[in-house]
Amino acid sequence: MKKLIEVKNVVKTFDSQVVLKGISLDIYENEFVTLLGPSGCGKTTLLRIIAGFLDPTEGHVIMDGEDIARIPAYKRDVNTVFQHYALFPHLDVYDNIAFGLKIKKQPKDIIDQKVMRMISLVGLEGFEHRDVTSMSGGQQQRVAIARALVNEPRVLLLDESLSALDKNLRKEMQLELKEIQREVGITFIFVTHDQEEALTMSDKIVIMKDGEIEQIGTPAQVYNEPANEYCARFIGDSNIIDGIMKKDRLVSFDDADYECVDYGFEENEEVDIMIRPEDVDIVPRNRGLLNGEVKSVLFKGVHYEVMVETSSGTSKTVTMHVTKSRDVENAEAHEKISASSFYMDLEDVESLTDSEVIARANAQAWDDKDEFVSLTKVAYSLKPEVGTYPCTFGTDAGTEITVNINVVKPQVIKDESNEEVIQAFDFYKTAEEIKESVALDTDLIRWADAYAWSTEDESRVEIWDVKYDFDDENISEGDYPVTFSTQGREIKVETTDAIEEGQRIGLKWNPEDIHVMRKSR
Amino acid sequence: MKSFSKMVYPYVVWAAVMIVVPMLMIVLYACTVKGNSVLTFQFTFDNFIRFFSDPVFPGVLWRSLKLAVITTLICIAVGYPTAYVMAKLKPNSQAVAVLLITLPMWINMLVRTYAWRGILSYIGMSGEAKVYVGMIYNFLPFMILQIYTSLSKIDPNLITAAHDLGANNTETFKRVILPLSLSGVVSGITLVFLPAVSSFFIPKLLGGGQYVLIGNLIEDYFISTGDWNFGSAISLIMALIILVSMYVTRKIDRYTAQEEDD
Amino acid sequence: MEQKTKLHEKIFLGLIMLFFYLPIIYVVIFSFNSSKSLSTFTGFSLQWYEKMFANRTIMESIWYTVSCAVIATVVSTIVGTVTAIGLSKSSKALREAINQVNNLPMLNPDIVTAIGFMLFFTSLRIKTSFTTMVLAHIAFCIPYVILSVMPKLRTLDPNLAEAALDLGCTPLQALWKVIIPQIMPGIISGALVAFSMSFDDFVISLFTTGPGVNNISIYVYANVKRVNPTINALSAIIVYVVTIVLILVNVIPMIRERKLKKNEN
Repeated sequence: MKKLIEVKNVVKTFDSQVVLKGISLDIYENEFVTLLGPSGCGKTTLLRIIAGFLDPTEGHVIMDGEDIARIPAYKRDVNTVFQHYALFPHLDVYDNIAFGLKIKKQPKDIIDQKVMRMISLVGLEGFEHRDVTSMSGGQQQRVAIARALVNEPRVLLLDESLSALDKNLRKEMQLELKEIQREVGITFIFVTHDQEEALTMSDKIVIMKDGEIEQIGTPAQVYNEPANEYCARFIGDSNIIDGIMKKDRLVSFDDADYECVDYGFEENEEVDIMIRPEDVDIVPRNRGLLNGEVKSVLFKGVHYEVMVETSSGTSKTVTMHVTKSRDVENAEAHEKISASSFYMDLEDVESLTDSEVIARANAQAWDDKDEFVSLTKVAYSLKPEVGTYPCTFGTDAGTEITVNINVVKPQVIKDESNEEVIQAFDFYKTAEEIKESVALDTDLIRWADAYAWSTEDESRVEIWDVKYDFDDENISEGDYPVTFSTQGREIKVETTDAIEEGQRIGLKWNPEDIHVMRKSR
Repeated sequence: MKSFSKMVYPYVVWAAVMIVVPMLMIVLYACTVKGNSVLTFQFTFDNFIRFFSDPVFPGVLWRSLKLAVITTLICIAVGYPTAYVMAKLKPNSQAVAVLLITLPMWINMLVRTYAWRGILSYIGMSGEAKVYVGMIYNFLPFMILQIYTSLSKIDPNLITAAHDLGANNTETFKRVILPLSLSGVVSGITLVFLPAVSSFFIPKLLGGGQYVLIGNLIEDYFISTGDWNFGSAISLIMALIILVSMYVTRKIDRYTAQEEDD
Repeated sequence: MEQKTKLHEKIFLGLIMLFFYLPIIYVVIFSFNSSKSLSTFTGFSLQWYEKMFANRTIMESIWYTVSCAVIATVVSTIVGTVTAIGLSKSSKALREAINQVNNLPMLNPDIVTAIGFMLFFTSLRIKTSFTTMVLAHIAFCIPYVILSVMPKLRTLDPNLAEAALDLGCTPLQALWKVIIPQIMPGIISGALVAFSMSFDDFVISLFTTGPGVNNISIYVYANVKRVNPTINALSAIIVYVVTIVLILVNVIPMIRERKLKKNEN
């Protein structure tokens, strides 16, 4: 194949913001090239530079050995299909398609011939004199393609051209576009953020991120051997695990070693390991490479998507004291008041406010019509040391209740292997409060003030699981354990076998299913 | 396409000469006294001092402001319900109502004001009341159309949502419709108050010459007396007052808009 | 907003409409009055129309008004459109600056703008005349044209111009074949606003016109002291013309739409 376009070190800046950081790319004749990346990665900017709508700040665009970087768009042998088609609303289908030929002042009979050929190529016979604004997205798309192709360009540029169509139509147009490209035999450069689209249509995929090219390859190459974690995440579903390359063909994660086929890394180099969900097999317990528990099963049509936890997260168990209802009644004032004792962190004493105390004690007062009465009295005196302190809430009418504030040392559990810390406190609740809770897991997290964070960067870690074995509908007084934990290692598996949540299973894969990647920078 | 930006240059020159320079001329004249030429230009505040030291001029200014404020208030009081009823009509009737209100506006303002003369003298109205009728007649359509535009832009789902959340019609009006249409009232105020302050042919045509407003003063000093310096000073004072009141109105609008956000 | 309107609301709306149309109806009726009276209708006659057409000053004032409005509309529409297109491709600072300057004549009271022109012309020793009046009209019309064209440009798909370039248009061809047709509604409404502003203008005309050159407004203003029913006839004719034009403008698109629908069926 002959090289058609050579993009050389193209840099583009907009007001000191660098959008393209030195892109080099070769495009060949008769090739279907896809520029793939999330919005803001610079793919559209690159396309517009090739089209001639933007000048590169630095670098060259060479077409047939000639630098075209400074040649205006209307003199280039390149045509574009725009994202929202940019059909001329004041012209009908025929005149839209004939626009370019009329500008070039071609004879009328030739224009007619060429336009009609294009109309039949894109399957719009009979629509010649339709108003373009009243057409469906798919039809507008066809007009846009015909309008560009009728000029017989060497390269057709397509800017997110299918993104405005609904899913089924998009699939149809993908095939049709590929078909048209084969028929007219020119180069297509296609911009998209849809990886599936890229895999289906392209001869070559260019994965971009932040103005740089991450990987160039055939669809099979970018799927099976992504260059780095970013490419692996962007294309297809994947499990990506931090690991260490022990030596050639042996990689380790979560304290176990696994065979692989990759080599050429340094000894004990930190790497990213990718395993595709469809490459993992579910086997009976202890028959695979590692064991785990099924956390969730999602039906996806062709297969089930199963999340398997192979090592647990950081967890902390607290005691929930379920007590009698402690409503205090003030018969004279027709008022009732209630509040609970609570535990709190020594470190939080300094910054405690009245409204926080009310919230933590869940203090409230109400009259016999069930209308809330505001709490005007909040009396407590706390010292920043461990101990139990009384706290009294009251209303204007003199209805009062006293509860205890238990100031305790921080209750944290640190898990070195997960690099996480979790904290939670014991708490008091009445059976009613538990029964009334609409979202019990969330309420338990709030009541226990459960909180987890990473020791690496102090960032918050989500409490993934709340475990308890009481029946919240029929709970009685007493003490109950509640366990909060973060997410452990979860591996996503795609299987066609039915599997149940909670099942304990083994996982297995072949050494060639593991793909080891260098950590990116 | 960037080359199209050059198409602005002729207008930049034109605007500088035909808009900016005339405005500067007013300032120049206001700050000089008669007899000054550009060569012997002497900066002075005499014209402004003269305006405020004679009780007649501030009196006229006060009367003009009072007239404009009252006109604006009446226009809101009448215009808001009108716009509200219009916005409740069926879409087709709304279009007809808008057309009916717009149509008289295409007919020369002077001609329409002139027509009131006959009617009002037939009824036997006093000078000042006639001026008010003329003012309201001329400026009410602006107020109605501004408020109507802001009302018709309100998403009907918001009203449904308010009802869904338990608001009755009065509460929905007070808490949803009124705050959302306030921007229309404010632009209506701009369109009514501003020309009402400076109006001079309405009082002249309907007030019978006894009813002097600030606009009439300016006209007199330019056309009859020929003291352009003092005339310029009066118009500068008027322009400043209008500028300040517009600024305050917009501030209030933004303030209430923010309050609604909280 | 659409709700049921109650009877008293309909009556209220009707009264407001009556208020707006009362003077118009009055003028039309009394333009046919056989006597000079402005309060009693003594009988039908066309004498005021005859007198009006025989009055040279009135005929001249109509001529001045129309020709001034036509010239001001044509010039301000062209200049305003060209400027708006340029502004849409200019830097934000320039766009803001022009907007601020354009606000001066739009937000200032007419009389301030008017004396500005008057001082400007006389300081340059230019005798006020029909020409100065036209210049002033052009100056205050352009901002309105820019104001009505700009939103159309802002909502214009930027890819349309690029598509034209992509298909081989030079920038000028793209402007003529794609941008102008797209913003045409804005240009037309700008032209209509400019025409009506110029046609109805009184204050600015009064201060910038030369001796002996009166437009309709100035004529009415100068002649209200005396009882003069020819003004009723003049006013009535304006009412007829405006009504006919507005009906045509509003009805023709409706008929065209109906025809289109018929053709499609």
